[in-house]
Amino acid sequence: MTFRLTCPVCGKRDVYEFTFGGQERGPRPEQEGLSAEEHFRWTQFRLIPNEPQEEWWYHGQGCGVWFKAKRDPGTNREMR
Amino acid sequence: MSWLRPRRLWHPAPLKRHYEVVIIGGGIHGLATAYYLARTHGIRDVAVLESHYIGFGGSGRNTAIVRANQRTAENVRLYDEGLKLWAVLTDELDFNLMFFNCGTLNLGHSEAAMNGIRMLASTHNLLEVKSEVLDPQQCAEVIPGLDISDRPAFPIHGGLYHPPGGIVRHDAVVWGLAKGASAHGVHIHQGCEVRGIDTRDGRVTGVRTSQGAIGCKRLGIMAGGYGSAVAAMLGIELPIHPLTIQAMVTHPLKPFLHHVFSSGAYHVYANQTLKGEIATGAHMDPQVNYTTDATAYYLKHQAEALGELMPALRGVRFMRIWSGLADMTPDMAPIMEGELGYEGLYLDAGWGYFGFKSGPVAGKYMAEYMSTGQRPDILRAFQLKRFLEGRYSGETASVMKYGHWD
Repeated sequence: MTFRLTCPVCGKRDVYEFTFGGQERGPRPEQEGLSAEEHFRWTQFRLIPNEPQEEWWYHGQGCGVWFKAKRDPGTNREMR
Repeated sequence: MSWLRPRRLWHPAPLKRHYEVVIIGGGIHGLATAYYLARTHGIRDVAVLESHYIGFGGSGRNTAIVRANQRTAENVRLYDEGLKLWAVLTDELDFNLMFFNCGTLNLGHSEAAMNGIRMLASTHNLLEVKSEVLDPQQCAEVIPGLDISDRPAFPIHGGLYHPPGGIVRHDAVVWGLAKGASAHGVHIHQGCEVRGIDTRDGRVTGVRTSQGAIGCKRLGIMAGGYGSAVAAMLGIELPIHPLTIQAMVTHPLKPFLHHVFSSGAYHVYANQTLKGEIATGAHMDPQVNYTTDATAYYLKHQAEALGELMPALRGVRFMRIWSGLADMTPDMAPIMEGELGYEGLYLDAGWGYFGFKSGPVAGKYMAEYMSTGQRPDILRAFQLKRFLEGRYSGETASVMKYGHWD
């Protein structure tokens, strides 16, 4: 089953109109003094428990807006 | 009439409150590890915990293709040994795994892809793994029905023919390994969901499950695509994106496709099962998830792609579609690790869409790792810390890639 996401501009649309932008993880760490290891960890390592998470989505085949949505990776359902 | 009585392949066992080794995940990786722990290393006090039924995850959701034509030497060596294990295990487990080494043909759709394929063939030949470069005409001889004209959007420029590859009956592997492990004393507990992992003074002490707490000295996380969710119970971050990958079968046809063929450009691999269905995949959904969702969107994609490569298949109907998890790492190579910050904790994950082909060989070496505490040489290339040291496997340079992930 496919699912729908709520674009803040266009409303509920099919997920294939969107591009997944990854978890919301707060601001990027300061480059100044950032060790290679910390940089690699930030870039690649994730904690992905089987519970709802906040994430970024891009409505590329629609209005082109980036927005945050909360989704449960265990069910693919959007949490409102 | 005792031969009429149904005989169980493996035996229900009482759930003990403590085991020497607990393995999370009753797929082929977990079952193979348990099997080798008991058979080769004499550690029989082993429990395999499976939240659903054995083979529920990737072990029963793949397209059963096995091959050893990866890009890098460290990967080819591992998969080559894995490929040779199917025949050995068929004998050892006394169970027909239905290994059919029909050969695989990976198509190239550009000169750049052909250069990649030439590099693959050289790498394989260097390691004494059979592979050869075919021109379009030869591809059509191996797979009659391929459209080698310049009509398709991505015309066929040639291919990599890899004779030792093929298909294995995936359920038989699960059942055969369960049979073998059980015969050596391993306890297999289905419907036993792990909900937490207990540690004390930097050591693993056990797991909390839907059937109560179970203590252990050594714990293996071998949960396939669910591995990152299990590791998250201990707050362990991993460079893994669990993504659903979709596959499907057509209705049965007369035998006409005698080899596996695949195309990275079209995101297609296909083989004809012994029942006559064309089993084909695969598309990956880009958002991380732990579901088994399949979608009409990719059903359509798959029909279009398959119809482009092999026009005779247009109009053939799909019967079933399903999905399983591919746990993608940034460098398309797995993580087999025993240094995770907790003594006794081992991880076997990040196999992406290579989890089926690698099951028995991964189990063999994880069992050695877990029983001795010493990392086997062949696993040195698959340490977790490579991602923190900027030492990636070169596997992403392979021509055979079937998805996108960040």
